[in-house]
Amino acid sequence: MHIEADQEKCVGAGQCVMAAPELFDQRDSDGVVEVLVSDPADSQAAQAREAELTCPAAAITVTAT
Amino acid sequence: MTTTEDRRLPFPRPNILELAPLYEALRREAPVVAVTTPAGDPAWLVTRFDEVKQLLGDKRFGRSHPAPEQASKINRAAVLEGPSGNYETEAADHSRMRRLLTPAFSAKRMNRLSGDVQALVDGCIDRMVAAHDTDPVVDLHALLALPMPIGVICALLGVPEEDAPLFRDLSDRMGTASGADAHAAREEFGRYVTRLAEAKRANPGQDVISDLVAAQAADETFGYAEMTRLAVGLIFAGHETTVNRIGLGVLFLMTRRQHWDDLVADPSRVNATVEEIMRLGAPGDLGLVRYAHEDVSVAGVDIARGDALVLSINAANRDPGEYGAAEEFDPDRPERAHLGFGHGAHFCIGASLARVELRTVFATLARRLPDLRPAAELDELDVRTGHITGGVTTLPVTW
Ligand code: HEM
Repeated sequence: MHIEADQEKCVGAGQCVMAAPELFDQRDSDGVVEVLVSDPADSQAAQAREAELTCPAAAITVTAT
Repeated sequence: MTTTEDRRLPFPRPNILELAPLYEALRREAPVVAVTTPAGDPAWLVTRFDEVKQLLGDKRFGRSHPAPEQASKINRAAVLEGPSGNYETEAADHSRMRRLLTPAFSAKRMNRLSGDVQALVDGCIDRMVAAHDTDPVVDLHALLALPMPIGVICALLGVPEEDAPLFRDLSDRMGTASGADAHAAREEFGRYVTRLAEAKRANPGQDVISDLVAAQAADETFGYAEMTRLAVGLIFAGHETTVNRIGLGVLFLMTRRQHWDDLVADPSRVNATVEEIMRLGAPGDLGLVRYAHEDVSVAGVDIARGDALVLSINAANRDPGEYGAAEEFDPDRPERAHLGFGHGAHFCIGASLARVELRTVFATLARRLPDLRPAAELDELDVRTGHITGGVTTLPVTW
Protein backbone atom coordinates (compact mmCIF):
# COMPACT_ATOMS: atom_id res chain seq x y z
CA MET A 1 0.00 0.00 0.00
CA HIS A 2 1.02 3.58 -0.63
CA ILE A 3 0.53 6.74 1.44
CA GLU A 4 0.31 10.28 0.08
CA ALA A 5 -0.11 13.37 2.24
CA ASP A 6 -1.08 16.79 0.88
CA GLN A 7 0.94 19.34 2.84
CA GLU A 8 -1.10 22.22 1.43
CA LYS A 9 -4.35 20.82 2.79
CA CYS A 10 -2.90 19.75 6.15
CA VAL A 11 -4.17 21.75 9.16
CA GLY A 12 -1.60 20.33 11.57
CA ALA A 13 -4.07 18.49 13.75
CA GLY A 14 -1.68 15.63 14.42
CA GLN A 15 -4.43 13.03 14.19
CA CYS A 16 -2.29 10.89 11.89
CA VAL A 17 0.59 10.90 14.36
CA MET A 18 -1.78 9.81 17.12
CA ALA A 19 -3.17 7.02 14.91
CA ALA A 20 0.06 5.85 13.29
CA PRO A 21 3.19 7.26 14.95
CA GLU A 22 5.49 5.01 12.92
CA LEU A 23 4.10 6.24 9.62
CA PHE A 24 3.60 9.99 10.16
CA ASP A 25 5.29 12.92 11.83
CA GLN A 26 4.67 16.65 12.10
CA ARG A 27 7.30 19.17 11.01
CA ASP A 28 8.76 20.90 14.05
CA SER A 29 8.48 24.35 12.48
CA ASP A 30 4.79 24.41 11.60
CA GLY A 31 3.19 21.10 12.59
CA VAL A 32 2.52 20.12 8.98
CA VAL A 33 2.40 16.41 8.17
CA GLU A 34 5.40 14.42 7.00
CA VAL A 35 5.09 10.86 5.78
CA LEU A 36 7.79 8.73 7.41
CA VAL A 37 7.01 5.51 5.56
CA SER A 38 5.22 5.96 2.25
CA ASP A 39 5.02 2.25 1.43
CA PRO A 40 4.24 0.56 4.74
CA ALA A 41 3.98 -3.14 5.45
CA ASP A 42 0.58 -4.83 5.31
CA SER A 43 0.71 -5.21 9.08
CA GLN A 44 0.47 -1.41 9.31
CA ALA A 45 -2.51 -1.13 6.99
CA ALA A 46 -5.09 -0.65 9.74
CA GLN A 47 -3.10 2.22 11.27
CA ALA A 48 -2.63 3.89 7.90
CA ARG A 49 -6.35 3.62 7.13
CA GLU A 50 -7.23 5.07 10.51
CA ALA A 51 -4.98 8.05 9.84
CA GLU A 52 -6.65 8.55 6.47
CA LEU A 53 -10.11 8.30 7.99
CA THR A 54 -9.56 10.61 10.93
CA CYS A 55 -7.64 13.37 9.14
CA PRO A 56 -9.80 16.48 9.59
CA ALA A 57 -8.51 18.00 6.38
CA ALA A 58 -8.82 14.88 4.21
CA ALA A 59 -5.14 15.39 3.40
CA ILE A 60 -4.12 11.73 3.53
CA THR A 61 -4.71 9.17 0.81
CA VAL A 62 -3.93 5.51 1.23
CA THR A 63 -4.04 3.35 -1.88
CA ALA A 64 -3.60 -0.37 -2.34
CA THR A 65 -0.57 -1.29 -4.44
CA MET B 1 -43.94 20.31 12.61
CA THR B 2 -42.85 22.71 15.31
CA THR B 3 -42.57 26.47 14.93
CA THR B 4 -39.34 28.43 15.18
CA GLU B 5 -40.34 29.57 18.65
CA ASP B 6 -40.71 25.93 19.79
CA ARG B 7 -37.34 25.39 18.32
CA ARG B 8 -35.50 27.73 20.60
CA LEU B 9 -32.06 26.56 21.67
CA PRO B 10 -31.08 25.02 23.99
CA PHE B 11 -33.58 22.15 23.79
CA PRO B 12 -34.32 20.66 27.20
CA ARG B 13 -32.56 17.33 27.69
CA PRO B 14 -33.55 14.45 29.96
CA ASN B 15 -30.15 14.30 31.66
CA ILE B 16 -26.52 15.14 31.12
CA LEU B 17 -25.74 11.96 29.19
CA GLU B 18 -28.65 12.13 26.73
CA LEU B 19 -29.60 14.67 24.11
CA ALA B 20 -33.00 16.30 23.62
CA PRO B 21 -35.26 13.85 21.73
CA LEU B 22 -36.08 16.63 19.24
CA TYR B 23 -32.66 16.16 17.63
CA GLU B 24 -33.66 12.71 16.45
CA ALA B 25 -36.72 14.09 14.62
CA LEU B 26 -34.82 17.02 13.16
CA ARG B 27 -32.01 14.81 11.85
CA ARG B 28 -34.58 12.67 10.08
CA GLU B 29 -36.97 15.32 8.81
CA ALA B 30 -35.22 18.68 8.73
CA PRO B 31 -31.44 18.39 8.90
CA VAL B 32 -31.08 22.12 8.23
CA VAL B 33 -33.79 23.97 10.10
CA ALA B 34 -34.61 27.50 11.24
CA VAL B 35 -34.28 27.93 15.00
CA THR B 36 -34.12 30.74 17.53
CA THR B 37 -30.81 31.11 19.35
CA PRO B 38 -30.67 31.45 23.14
CA ALA B 39 -30.10 35.17 22.50
CA GLY B 40 -33.43 35.30 20.61
CA ASP B 41 -32.07 35.67 17.07
CA PRO B 42 -32.60 33.48 13.98
CA ALA B 43 -30.12 30.80 12.97
CA TRP B 44 -29.95 27.56 11.01
CA LEU B 45 -29.47 24.44 13.09
CA VAL B 46 -27.67 21.61 11.31
CA THR B 47 -27.98 18.15 12.85
CA ARG B 48 -26.96 15.45 10.38
CA PHE B 49 -23.41 14.07 10.31
CA ASP B 50 -22.85 14.54 6.59
CA GLU B 51 -23.98 18.17 6.48
CA VAL B 52 -22.21 19.14 9.71
CA LYS B 53 -18.96 17.63 8.48
CA GLN B 54 -19.34 19.14 5.03
CA LEU B 55 -20.05 22.62 6.42
CA LEU B 56 -17.11 22.46 8.85
CA GLY B 57 -14.87 21.81 5.87
CA ASP B 58 -16.42 24.55 3.69
CA LYS B 59 -14.44 27.77 3.37
CA ARG B 60 -17.55 29.76 2.43
CA PHE B 61 -18.41 29.81 6.13
CA GLY B 62 -16.43 31.56 8.83
CA ARG B 63 -16.44 32.82 12.40
CA SER B 64 -16.56 36.47 11.37
CA HIS B 65 -19.48 38.36 9.85
CA PRO B 66 -19.45 40.81 6.92
CA ALA B 67 -21.55 43.29 8.97
CA PRO B 68 -21.11 42.22 12.61
CA GLU B 69 -23.62 44.71 14.02
CA GLN B 70 -26.36 42.99 11.97
CA ALA B 71 -25.30 39.45 12.84
CA SER B 72 -27.51 37.08 14.80
CA LYS B 73 -26.32 36.79 18.36
CA ILE B 74 -25.98 33.25 19.62
CA ASN B 75 -26.08 33.48 23.39
CA ARG B 76 -25.57 35.80 26.35
CA ALA B 77 -22.25 34.41 27.54
CA ALA B 78 -18.95 35.96 26.51
CA VAL B 79 -17.92 32.84 24.56
CA LEU B 80 -19.65 31.82 21.31
CA GLU B 81 -21.85 34.84 21.70
CA GLY B 82 -21.76 35.94 18.10
CA PRO B 83 -19.31 36.62 15.31
CA SER B 84 -15.65 36.95 16.20
CA GLY B 85 -12.65 38.33 14.41
CA ASN B 86 -12.39 40.65 11.48
CA TYR B 87 -14.17 39.72 8.23
CA GLU B 88 -11.46 41.15 5.97
CA THR B 89 -8.54 39.48 7.74
CA GLU B 90 -10.14 36.33 9.16
CA ALA B 91 -8.37 33.87 6.87
CA ALA B 92 -4.94 35.47 7.38
CA ASP B 93 -5.41 35.85 11.14
CA HIS B 94 -6.52 32.26 11.43
CA SER B 95 -3.63 30.78 9.49
CA ARG B 96 -1.18 32.84 11.54
CA MET B 97 -2.78 31.49 14.69
CA ARG B 98 -2.54 27.88 13.46
CA ARG B 99 1.06 28.35 12.32
CA LEU B 100 1.98 29.79 15.67
CA LEU B 101 0.23 27.30 17.91
CA THR B 102 0.22 24.02 16.02
CA PRO B 103 3.88 23.16 16.65
CA ALA B 104 3.50 23.80 20.38
CA PHE B 105 0.63 21.28 20.55
CA SER B 106 1.93 18.72 18.03
CA ALA B 107 1.14 15.08 18.68
CA LYS B 108 4.80 14.22 19.16
CA ARG B 109 5.30 16.92 21.78
CA MET B 110 2.11 15.92 23.54
CA ASN B 111 3.11 12.26 23.60
CA ARG B 112 6.40 13.35 25.13
CA LEU B 113 4.42 15.06 27.89
CA SER B 114 2.75 11.77 28.85
CA GLY B 115 5.11 11.26 31.78
CA ASP B 116 4.27 14.68 33.25
CA VAL B 117 0.56 14.09 32.75
CA GLN B 118 0.89 10.70 34.43
CA ALA B 119 2.60 12.30 37.43
CA LEU B 120 -0.18 14.88 37.73
CA VAL B 121 -2.88 12.22 37.48
CA ASP B 122 -1.15 10.07 40.09
CA GLY B 123 -0.85 13.05 42.41
CA CYS B 124 -4.59 13.73 42.06
CA ILE B 125 -5.49 10.10 42.71
CA ASP B 126 -3.15 10.03 45.73
CA ARG B 127 -5.19 12.92 47.14
CA MET B 128 -8.44 11.08 46.38
CA VAL B 129 -7.13 8.06 48.26
CA ALA B 130 -6.05 10.21 51.21
CA ALA B 131 -9.47 11.92 51.32
CA HIS B 132 -11.14 8.50 51.24
CA ASP B 133 -9.41 7.63 54.53
CA THR B 134 -11.48 10.25 56.36
CA ASP B 135 -14.69 10.20 54.30
CA PRO B 136 -15.61 7.33 51.96
CA VAL B 137 -17.38 9.71 49.58
CA VAL B 138 -14.87 11.63 47.47
CA ASP B 139 -15.50 14.44 44.97
CA LEU B 140 -13.81 13.31 41.76
CA HIS B 141 -14.59 16.64 40.11
CA ALA B 142 -12.76 18.73 42.71
CA LEU B 143 -9.86 16.32 43.22
CA LEU B 144 -9.17 15.04 39.70
CA ALA B 145 -11.32 16.32 36.80
CA LEU B 146 -10.60 19.96 37.60
CA PRO B 147 -7.03 20.15 38.97
CA MET B 148 -5.40 17.80 36.44
CA PRO B 149 -6.17 19.72 33.20
CA ILE B 150 -5.49 22.97 35.04
CA GLY B 151 -2.06 21.70 36.09
CA VAL B 152 -1.27 20.63 32.53
CA ILE B 153 -2.37 23.85 30.88
CA CYS B 154 -0.55 26.00 33.46
CA ALA B 155 2.68 24.16 32.74
CA LEU B 156 2.32 24.41 28.96
CA LEU B 157 1.19 28.01 28.79
CA GLY B 158 3.43 29.24 31.59
CA VAL B 159 0.57 30.37 33.81
CA PRO B 160 1.39 30.38 37.55
CA GLU B 161 -0.62 27.69 39.32
CA GLU B 162 -1.49 30.03 42.16
CA ASP B 163 -3.56 31.98 39.60
CA ALA B 164 -5.78 28.95 38.97
CA PRO B 165 -8.62 30.01 41.32
CA LEU B 166 -8.73 33.38 39.53
CA PHE B 167 -8.82 32.13 35.93
CA ARG B 168 -11.11 29.28 36.90
CA ASP B 169 -13.63 31.75 38.29
CA LEU B 170 -13.25 34.03 35.26
CA SER B 171 -13.71 31.10 32.83
CA ASP B 172 -16.80 29.96 34.67
CA ARG B 173 -18.36 33.44 34.59
CA MET B 174 -17.33 34.11 31.01
CA GLY B 175 -19.08 30.93 29.86
CA THR B 176 -22.30 31.63 31.75
CA ALA B 177 -25.19 33.11 29.79
CA SER B 178 -25.54 36.07 32.12
CA GLY B 179 -24.97 39.04 29.79
CA ALA B 180 -23.21 41.81 31.69
CA ASP B 181 -21.36 39.66 34.19
CA ALA B 182 -19.98 37.40 31.45
CA HIS B 183 -18.60 40.45 29.67
CA ALA B 184 -17.17 41.91 32.86
CA ALA B 185 -15.40 38.57 33.41
CA ARG B 186 -14.01 38.59 29.90
CA GLU B 187 -12.64 42.08 30.36
CA GLU B 188 -11.06 41.15 33.65
CA PHE B 189 -9.61 38.07 31.96
CA GLY B 190 -8.12 40.36 29.31
CA ARG B 191 -6.47 42.52 31.98
CA TYR B 192 -5.15 39.45 33.76
CA VAL B 193 -3.64 38.09 30.54
CA THR B 194 -2.11 41.49 29.77
CA ARG B 195 -0.32 41.49 33.12
CA LEU B 196 0.84 37.95 32.46
CA ALA B 197 2.06 38.81 28.94
CA GLU B 198 4.03 41.80 30.22
CA ALA B 199 5.62 39.65 32.92
CA LYS B 200 6.67 37.20 30.18
CA ARG B 201 8.04 39.99 28.03
CA ALA B 202 10.26 41.06 30.93
CA ASN B 203 11.16 37.52 31.79
CA PRO B 204 10.43 35.04 28.96
CA GLY B 205 10.07 31.35 29.68
CA GLN B 206 9.81 28.12 27.69
CA ASP B 207 6.06 28.36 27.33
CA VAL B 208 3.31 29.18 24.86
CA ILE B 209 2.42 32.61 26.28
CA SER B 210 6.07 33.70 26.01
CA ASP B 211 6.04 32.48 22.38
CA LEU B 212 2.88 34.45 21.68
CA VAL B 213 4.36 37.61 23.16
CA ALA B 214 7.52 37.24 21.07
CA ALA B 215 5.55 36.49 17.89
CA GLN B 216 3.31 39.51 18.40
CA ALA B 217 6.30 41.81 18.94
CA ALA B 218 7.92 40.56 15.73
CA ASP B 219 4.87 40.89 13.44
CA GLU B 220 3.23 44.26 12.87
CA THR B 221 0.07 42.67 11.45
CA PHE B 222 -0.40 40.77 14.71
CA GLY B 223 -2.32 43.12 17.02
CA TYR B 224 -1.95 43.18 20.78
CA ALA B 225 -5.69 42.64 21.28
CA GLU B 226 -5.59 39.59 19.01
CA MET B 227 -2.72 38.19 21.08
CA THR B 228 -4.54 38.60 24.39
CA ARG B 229 -7.74 37.17 22.86
CA LEU B 230 -5.78 34.07 21.83
CA ALA B 231 -4.22 33.70 25.26
CA VAL B 232 -7.62 33.94 26.98
CA GLY B 233 -8.99 31.43 24.47
CA LEU B 234 -6.18 28.98 25.19
CA ILE B 235 -6.59 29.15 28.96
CA PHE B 236 -10.36 28.74 28.61
CA ALA B 237 -10.37 26.01 25.94
CA GLY B 238 -7.36 24.36 27.53
CA HIS B 239 -9.19 23.33 30.66
CA GLU B 240 -13.01 23.78 30.48
CA THR B 241 -13.53 21.16 27.78
CA THR B 242 -11.20 18.55 29.22
CA VAL B 243 -12.59 18.93 32.75
CA ASN B 244 -16.07 18.21 31.41
CA ARG B 245 -15.05 15.22 29.34
CA ILE B 246 -13.44 13.58 32.38
CA GLY B 247 -16.66 14.00 34.39
CA LEU B 248 -18.87 12.78 31.56
CA GLY B 249 -16.57 9.86 30.85
CA VAL B 250 -16.75 8.71 34.46
CA LEU B 251 -20.55 8.99 34.37
CA PHE B 252 -20.82 7.05 31.10
CA LEU B 253 -18.65 4.26 32.48
CA MET B 254 -20.31 4.18 35.90
CA THR B 255 -23.77 3.91 34.36
CA ARG B 256 -22.59 1.25 31.90
CA ARG B 257 -20.68 -0.91 34.33
CA GLN B 258 -19.75 -3.58 31.84
CA HIS B 259 -17.60 -1.14 29.90
CA TRP B 260 -15.82 -0.10 33.08
CA ASP B 261 -15.20 -3.72 34.03
CA ASP B 262 -13.92 -4.39 30.50
CA LEU B 263 -11.50 -1.48 30.82
CA VAL B 264 -10.30 -2.66 34.24
CA ALA B 265 -9.71 -6.13 32.80
CA ASP B 266 -7.99 -4.87 29.65
CA PRO B 267 -6.28 -1.45 29.88
CA SER B 268 -5.48 -1.57 26.16
CA ARG B 269 -9.14 -0.67 25.61
CA VAL B 270 -8.49 2.84 26.88
CA ASN B 271 -8.00 4.55 23.52
CA ALA B 272 -11.23 3.23 22.05
CA THR B 273 -13.05 4.02 25.30
CA VAL B 274 -11.83 7.61 25.19
CA GLU B 275 -12.97 8.01 21.57
CA GLU B 276 -16.44 6.83 22.56
CA ILE B 277 -16.46 9.34 25.42
CA MET B 278 -15.49 11.99 22.89
CA ARG B 279 -18.24 10.92 20.49
CA LEU B 280 -21.10 10.79 22.99
CA GLY B 281 -19.99 13.31 25.58
CA ALA B 282 -22.03 16.45 24.97
CA PRO B 283 -21.53 18.92 27.78
CA GLY B 284 -22.67 22.06 25.97
CA ASP B 285 -26.13 22.33 24.44
CA LEU B 286 -25.37 24.41 21.37
CA GLY B 287 -22.86 23.53 18.70
CA LEU B 288 -20.17 25.17 16.61
CA VAL B 289 -21.05 28.58 15.24
CA ARG B 290 -20.43 29.82 11.70
CA TYR B 291 -21.63 32.68 9.51
CA ALA B 292 -22.23 32.28 5.77
CA HIS B 293 -19.82 34.42 3.76
CA GLU B 294 -21.76 33.70 0.54
CA ASP B 295 -25.23 32.52 -0.44
CA VAL B 296 -25.12 28.73 -0.22
CA SER B 297 -27.71 25.99 -0.61
CA VAL B 298 -27.38 23.07 1.81
CA ALA B 299 -29.63 19.99 1.81
CA GLY B 300 -32.19 21.93 -0.23
CA VAL B 301 -32.22 24.94 2.11
CA ASP B 302 -31.09 28.35 0.88
CA ILE B 303 -28.73 30.02 3.29
CA ALA B 304 -28.06 33.70 2.68
CA ARG B 305 -24.77 35.53 3.12
CA GLY B 306 -24.56 36.66 6.73
CA ASP B 307 -26.89 33.95 8.14
CA ALA B 308 -25.83 32.26 11.36
CA LEU B 309 -25.41 28.49 11.57
CA VAL B 310 -25.27 26.32 14.66
CA LEU B 311 -23.62 23.05 13.69
CA SER B 312 -24.64 20.45 16.24
CA ILE B 313 -21.66 18.14 16.55
CA ASN B 314 -23.56 16.48 19.41
CA ALA B 315 -26.45 15.48 17.11
CA ALA B 316 -24.09 14.59 14.26
CA ASN B 317 -22.09 12.29 16.52
CA ARG B 318 -25.26 10.26 17.20
CA ASP B 319 -26.53 10.15 13.64
CA PRO B 320 -27.88 6.66 12.85
CA GLY B 321 -26.98 7.35 9.22
CA GLU B 322 -23.33 7.31 10.28
CA TYR B 323 -23.20 5.02 13.32
CA GLY B 324 -24.85 1.66 13.95
CA ALA B 325 -26.76 1.71 17.30
CA ALA B 326 -25.72 5.35 17.45
CA GLU B 327 -26.96 6.04 20.98
CA GLU B 328 -25.10 3.06 22.45
CA PHE B 329 -21.79 3.49 24.23
CA ASP B 330 -19.69 0.94 22.40
CA PRO B 331 -15.90 1.24 22.27
CA ASP B 332 -15.77 -1.73 19.90
CA ARG B 333 -17.81 -0.06 17.20
CA PRO B 334 -16.27 -0.12 13.73
CA GLU B 335 -16.96 3.57 13.00
CA ARG B 336 -13.91 5.23 14.52
CA ALA B 337 -14.22 8.86 13.43
CA HIS B 338 -16.32 11.51 15.17
CA LEU B 339 -16.70 15.28 15.23
CA GLY B 340 -16.00 15.77 18.94
CA PHE B 341 -12.91 17.86 18.17
CA GLY B 342 -14.52 19.50 15.15
CA HIS B 343 -13.39 19.04 11.57
CA GLY B 344 -11.59 20.99 8.88
CA ALA B 345 -9.65 24.21 9.27
CA HIS B 346 -10.65 24.84 12.89
CA PHE B 347 -10.05 21.28 14.09
CA CYS B 348 -9.10 21.44 17.76
CA ILE B 349 -5.49 22.43 18.27
CA GLY B 350 -5.50 20.76 21.67
CA ALA B 351 -6.87 17.40 20.48
CA SER B 352 -3.63 15.48 20.96
CA LEU B 353 -3.14 17.03 24.37
CA ALA B 354 -6.73 16.26 25.38
CA ARG B 355 -6.30 12.67 24.22
CA VAL B 356 -3.12 12.21 26.23
CA GLU B 357 -4.90 13.62 29.29
CA LEU B 358 -8.07 11.55 28.88
CA ARG B 359 -6.21 8.31 28.12
CA THR B 360 -3.99 8.78 31.14
CA VAL B 361 -6.90 9.58 33.45
CA PHE B 362 -9.06 6.61 32.46
CA ALA B 363 -6.21 4.10 32.28
CA THR B 364 -4.98 5.18 35.72
CA LEU B 365 -8.42 5.26 37.34
CA ALA B 366 -9.14 1.75 36.07
CA ARG B 367 -5.80 0.49 37.37
CA ARG B 368 -5.78 2.21 40.75
CA LEU B 369 -9.49 2.38 41.66
CA PRO B 370 -11.09 -0.63 39.96
CA ASP B 371 -13.98 -0.66 42.45
CA LEU B 372 -14.91 2.95 41.70
CA ARG B 373 -18.65 3.62 41.82
CA PRO B 374 -20.91 6.65 41.90
CA ALA B 375 -22.10 7.95 45.28
CA ALA B 376 -25.03 9.93 43.85
CA GLU B 377 -27.75 9.26 41.30
CA LEU B 378 -27.40 10.85 37.89
CA ASP B 379 -30.39 13.14 38.43
CA GLU B 380 -29.05 14.32 41.80
CA LEU B 381 -25.94 15.81 40.25
CA ASP B 382 -25.67 19.57 39.98
CA VAL B 383 -25.32 20.37 36.28
CA ARG B 384 -24.19 23.79 35.11
CA THR B 385 -27.13 25.00 33.04
CA GLY B 386 -27.08 28.21 31.04
CA HIS B 387 -23.38 27.59 30.64
CA ILE B 388 -21.69 27.26 27.29
CA THR B 389 -19.64 24.20 28.16
CA GLY B 390 -21.99 22.73 30.79
CA GLY B 391 -20.71 19.85 32.89
CA VAL B 392 -21.21 18.90 36.53
CA THR B 393 -20.06 20.95 39.52
CA THR B 394 -19.39 17.97 41.80
CA LEU B 395 -19.02 14.26 41.15
CA PRO B 396 -19.30 12.20 44.34
CA VAL B 397 -17.75 8.74 44.01
CA THR B 398 -16.68 5.99 46.36
CA TRP B 399 -14.97 2.57 46.25
C1 HEM C 1 -11.68 17.14 25.49
C2 HEM C 1 -11.22 18.33 25.33
C3 HEM C 1 -11.50 19.23 24.13
C4 HEM C 1 -12.58 19.27 23.30
C5 HEM C 1 -13.82 18.41 23.36
C6 HEM C 1 -12.32 20.31 22.33
C7 HEM C 1 -13.17 20.63 21.28
C8 HEM C 1 -12.89 21.55 20.29
C9 HEM C 1 -13.70 21.78 19.13
C10 HEM C 1 -15.01 21.07 18.79
C11 HEM C 1 -13.09 22.74 18.38
C12 HEM C 1 -13.57 23.30 17.03
C13 HEM C 1 -14.24 24.64 17.17
C14 HEM C 1 -14.83 25.14 15.88
O1 HEM C 1 -14.70 24.52 14.83
O2 HEM C 1 -15.49 26.20 15.92
C15 HEM C 1 -11.92 23.15 19.10
C16 HEM C 1 -11.05 24.14 18.70
C17 HEM C 1 -9.97 24.57 19.45
N1 HEM C 1 -9.48 23.99 20.60
FE1 HEM C 1 -10.24 22.39 21.55
N2 HEM C 1 -11.12 20.89 22.60
C18 HEM C 1 -10.58 20.26 23.70
C19 HEM C 1 -9.37 20.53 24.31
C20 HEM C 1 -8.55 21.59 23.97
C21 HEM C 1 -7.32 21.89 24.64
C22 HEM C 1 -6.71 21.09 25.79
C23 HEM C 1 -6.83 23.00 24.06
C24 HEM C 1 -5.54 23.63 24.49
C25 HEM C 1 -4.82 24.39 24.00
C26 HEM C 1 -7.75 23.39 22.98
C27 HEM C 1 -7.60 24.48 22.13
C28 HEM C 1 -8.39 24.72 21.03
C29 HEM C 1 -8.18 25.84 20.11
C30 HEM C 1 -7.09 26.90 20.22
C31 HEM C 1 -9.17 25.74 19.11
C32 HEM C 1 -9.41 26.69 17.94
C33 HEM C 1 -8.83 26.13 16.69
C34 HEM C 1 -9.15 26.96 15.47
O3 HEM C 1 -10.04 27.80 15.49
O4 HEM C 1 -8.44 26.77 14.45
N3 HEM C 1 -8.77 22.49 22.96
N4 HEM C 1 -11.80 22.39 20.25
